[in-house]
This record gives sequence, structure tokens and C-alpha cells, in this order.
Amino acid sequence: MNKTAYTIITMALVVGIGIVFLGGSKNNTETGGSAQNVEIKDGVQYITINARGGYSPKVSSAKPGIPTKLIVKTNGTYDCSASLVIRSVGFQKILSQTGEEVIDLGTPKAGQPVQGLCSMGMYNFSINFN
Amino acid sequence: MKTYTFHVSGTHCASCKIFIEDTLNEQGFIKNARVNLQRETVEIETDSDEDPEALTHILTEKIKSNGYKLSVEKSSTEKQSNDVIWKAIPIGLSFLILFFLLQKSEILNLGIGGQTTPVTSFIIGLIASVSSCLAIVGGLVLSLSAKVSQDNVSDTKTFLLFHTGRLVSFAVLGGVLGAVGSAIGINFTFTAILGLLASMVMLLLGLNLVGVFAKNKVALPAGIFNFFRKIEHKTLTPLIIGFATFFLPCGFTQSMQISALGSGSFMSGLLIMLAFALGTLPMLVLLSFGSASFAHGKHAPLFFKSAGVVVIGLGLFALLAGLAGLGIINPLFNI
Repeated sequence: MNKTAYTIITMALVVGIGIVFLGGSKNNTETGGSAQNVEIKDGVQYITINARGGYSPKVSSAKPGIPTKLIVKTNGTYDCSASLVIRSVGFQKILSQTGEEVIDLGTPKAGQPVQGLCSMGMYNFSINFN
Repeated sequence: MKTYTFHVSGTHCASCKIFIEDTLNEQGFIKNARVNLQRETVEIETDSDEDPEALTHILTEKIKSNGYKLSVEKSSTEKQSNDVIWKAIPIGLSFLILFFLLQKSEILNLGIGGQTTPVTSFIIGLIASVSSCLAIVGGLVLSLSAKVSQDNVSDTKTFLLFHTGRLVSFAVLGGVLGAVGSAIGINFTFTAILGLLASMVMLLLGLNLVGVFAKNKVALPAGIFNFFRKIEHKTLTPLIIGFATFFLPCGFTQSMQISALGSGSFMSGLLIMLAFALGTLPMLVLLSFGSASFAHGKHAPLFFKSAGVVVIGLGLFALLAGLAGLGIINPLFNI
């Protein structure tokens, strides 16, 4: 009897953890996708991402085939999102606590998303080019 | 000449048999001691007139410091361990949910603008000690503390050494960063690998605390446990682990290191890192001394197993995040 009760509680908690991990990120994708953070000026595409307690928007979409720069904005950022890693362009840096970091992404090809992570790996963002 | 059979607990490995037999055979009043690892018993031939109960106490004194214990009855914690694990899993999971909810709640994302002074870095330390950094640093502290207390090593001394080592090395390394300036870069891959190593230790100790190894006798190579045993007794070990936490991947620690780098002098770098370490101290002290007081209390078996569940959860989180950080796997989650 006792054991079944504990088993049921355990199952409920496992579901709870699942919701915390997966449910949350789904919501973020929806809000992130609609964000207006891509701008084209003088033939250069600028993508802006805010870094503090994670990255927002978490998913951006931009156009492939034009020179692209990524602007990462920090504002009193002390957490992991300040130590940014973008493997596809070999970028690794701990950003200043408040400021803007401009990262050259080259000319991205279609279908090759760019992914950024914080050094501990618990925050990430991605940019789709299509 | 009488022959007794006692139960022995704490035997992890094949070499434990040899150690116990050697120690017991050294006692003058014992003619022959034989350990049976499968049944966890030791058979003793003795010409002592003590009654069995007293005999187990005398002999336990000899091997206690290595974590073994003799008893006439099968140890009671062993009997109820099955029930305990069913309580421990929900307790551990509840703590994990609370922890991750706290991370999601964005309470911890308050921005602190302006110049980094020792006061702000102390506050950042306070925040960091309940942030996702706790998954690695706190998880490591919790697992090591629980393990040390479980093995009955003089835990207070070990913890004091750990915290002293941590404070001193943060201060000194912060000072060095301030003095040297931008010359040393803190290597991302290095910290990530150290983080993976820490998460592996957490998983191993977590499984050990839950009792997977003890129960199923999944005999870890004897060497690993002897290694743990040995390093637990060294004075230097807790100091070194305290030192190593400087390099563990934690975003807050890293931004503090950058502030120390930019601070321009030995003293200012030292103050920033020391204040930061002091800020993280209350939570870590709570973890280590809290686990010690639980470990010596009535609910020790429940505490060890719950702590084991928490540590396994945090270890898995740190492991997956670390692998993602290194670009080995895709990030699975976004806290």
C-alpha cells in the first residue's frame, strides 16, 4: 500500500519534471519565432539577440545568402548567458556585463542554422536561414 | 576456543576482505578470521571470554575508520533500505523540481548595473549560490559531504578545509587575474571538461549514496573505491577540491573572473573574487554541514538516499549541459 502511494507520487513528480523541461521551451519557441529582431541595412543583415538569464528570442529566422552580423546585447548580465559559444563560426568569449557584441556570421547558406550556447550549455539560441 | 559469525557492513570490494581479515588477525585474541563477501559475514575463531555483543564493539573499533562495521544482528538499515528508497525518490525529485522551477522563475535574473565592486560581487555570489551553478558546485559539495559523512571520516575538519581552500584560492587567483590582466584567458574547453568530470563524480557518488552499488554488488573496480577512501583521509584533498571549484563552469564565476581581470590591480581582483566566494559561502556551508548533521541523525539512511537522488538528477543535468556546451550533443533543454 505504502509502496504504491510512493510510486504514484514518483510518477507525478517525473511528469512534473517533464513539464518543467519540455513545456517551457515549447512556449519560448512560439514567442521567439514571431519576434522582429532581424533587420537589413546597406546590404548587411543584422540579427539582435538579448542575453540575460538566457537568450531571447530563442529561435530567429533570417535570410540566407547575404552578409550577416549577429548583435548580442548584454545588460547587467552576470549569469551563464554572458559566456557565449558559437561553434560554427568559432566564437568563444565572455561578454562584458553591459554592452553589445557584434559577431560576423559571414554569408550563411540556406538550411544551415547557427546555434549559440552558453559555456555551461544550459542556455541556447538558434537562427534558422531559409 | 569459540567460533562466532558476525555481520559486516561497508564491504564494497574484493580487497575489503583482505583488509578486514588482516586487521582482525592482528588482534592477539583472534586465531582466525574469514570474510564471506557474498553473505557479508565474518567468521571468527577466538579464545576471548567476551560475549559476542562486546566482541563486535571491540572489533568494530579497529576497522571503523575504514568504514566497516561488525554486528551480531544483520544491520537494521539494511533491512529497511527497500522502503527507504521509495520515500527517498519522491523527496529527491521534489527538491529537483523546486530547484528547476526557481531557475525558470527568472527571479534570479535581476540585473546589477554599473561598476563591479566587492559589494556587488558579494550579492552576485549570493545569487549564484542558488542559481544553475548550484547544479555543479552545490551538487559536488552535497555529494562529497554526504559521502564523507557516510564514511565517518572526521567531517567537520574536512568541510572547514574545503571552504578555507575555496576562499583562499578564489582570493589569490582573483588577485593574480587582477595583476596579470588580460594575459590569461580562461579556456572554455578546459572548464567544460572539468565540468564533465565533476558531473561524472556526482553521478558515481549519487549512485553510491542511493545504494545501487551496495545492493546489487555491481562491483566497481576495487581501485576506484580504494582511491576515494585514500583521498578522503588526506588533508590536502579538500583544499584541492576547494581550489578546483574556481575553474568549474559557472557563468557567474566566469563573469566575476572577467571583472577581476579588468580591475587592474592585485588587491582589487582579490577583493572582487573573495567577496564573490563569501557570497556563495552561506549556501555551500549549509549544504555541507547540513548534510553532516542529517548524517548523524535518526533519518540518516533516508537522507543519504534522498541526497543521492538529488545528486544524480543534478549530475545528469550537468552532464547533458556540459556535452551540449562542448558541441558533442544537441542541447536538450533551455532552462
